[in-house]
Amino acid sequence: MTHSLHRKGKEDDLKSDYVILAMRAAGIHDKTPEVKQIARQKLLRIGEIMDQHEPTNIMMDRLRRFSPAITASFDNIKSVKQILQVLKQEDLGISIVVSGLISEIQKVVKDVGLQMHTVHLSLGVFGKKELLPSEEILELTTMCGHHCVSSQSVTHYVEQIKKNKISLDAAAQELAKPCVCGIVNPTRVHRILNELLT
Amino acid sequence: MKIREDRCVGCGQCVTVCPVQAISIVDEKAVINIDLCVECSTCQRSADCPVNAIKFKRLKWPRLVRNPFSDVIATHKLTGIPGRGTEEMKINDITNRFGSNEIGISIEVGRPGVGTRLENVELFTIKLSKIGVDYEPNSPVSALFVDNQGHIKEEIKDERVLSAIIEFKVPTEKAPFVLQVIKEVEKKIDTVFSVGIVSRVMEDGTIPAMDLLTQNGFSVRPNAKVNLGLGRR
Repeated sequence: MTHSLHRKGKEDDLKSDYVILAMRAAGIHDKTPEVKQIARQKLLRIGEIMDQHEPTNIMMDRLRRFSPAITASFDNIKSVKQILQVLKQEDLGISIVVSGLISEIQKVVKDVGLQMHTVHLSLGVFGKKELLPSEEILELTTMCGHHCVSSQSVTHYVEQIKKNKISLDAAAQELAKPCVCGIVNPTRVHRILNELLT
Repeated sequence: MKIREDRCVGCGQCVTVCPVQAISIVDEKAVINIDLCVECSTCQRSADCPVNAIKFKRLKWPRLVRNPFSDVIATHKLTGIPGRGTEEMKINDITNRFGSNEIGISIEVGRPGVGTRLENVELFTIKLSKIGVDYEPNSPVSALFVDNQGHIKEEIKDERVLSAIIEFKVPTEKAPFVLQVIKEVEKKIDTVFSVGIVSRVMEDGTIPAMDLLTQNGFSVRPNAKVNLGLGRR
């Protein structure tokens, strides 16, 4: 239920971190094989639209083939706005969820002529917080909604960069790899890794 | 998961990618701590093992329960979708599961990245069931209940998972009681948990849950998930 919801980060940093999800509705968009096939085609079309607007990451092909959803991450709100304009125009009837700063999403939604229907708000983390790694590491690991990016892989790549064994760009791509949904944003990973190096 | 000792060259790549630090190098071989392992398959998928030594071991009940709560690729029998949650607010523009006088709540036990024994789920669900909440029937957590008082199957309580999401809704007036439960459980739980609140947005753009949360001493993060109402039947 949470996926892209609990991304950690400062407000300024989150201005360049958005996720778009499109999902077909079980029991409705799969009532018959024909209806399911139509929904499938619509999801693939949404994937095409996302691909045309420079996502920083997108759901891996293998998963796209059977997943009832498609997800991608973006490093600017302009791309999100352009995608929403196309989606509004094409009116595909598939649910669209945007994750990111509410204030920025609110502006874009108004500009495009849409209305927010439902929000999922995050209250953050509770409990034994002493078990957590540092905030900077959490900013990276929480980008994967299923927590497939480990904290020790962050420290590993920071060390590898310091030893000149891998470039910052390559390390950012490697850290994004375990996230099969494609919602780890490598542009933001790059920036946070850079901060961890200094 | 299983690492074939005869093949392992001790490179440590699986140690690095393991989200719950269940793998270590002992005598130049990678060894999985079976108690800590949550069966997420991340090692097999992401470690690029140079000798193909990581294998998925067929799981038996009750250990079997670890996989759908940990492996992003695993599709739970109830939800029919990959991952450990449900469709909830993502398709609320179609299902109207959350009405304008209701609040949806997600408590993801073990997140971010610490993991949890399933017994921690019960710390919440027994108290929540007393309040009378409407659990999401298709949630993987709902499949663990043995009664309507929030008790879960005895034999799975010690099983460790990456995270388990308790999903439910309540009429808005009951929400403060739920927030009180969150405060109470926080004092005794031995792991972390992340909380999310689902609210409809009014026609004028206001979000009623915002005031309710601040009045009850909770702060809301600036980033959220927003359903844009583009779906339809």
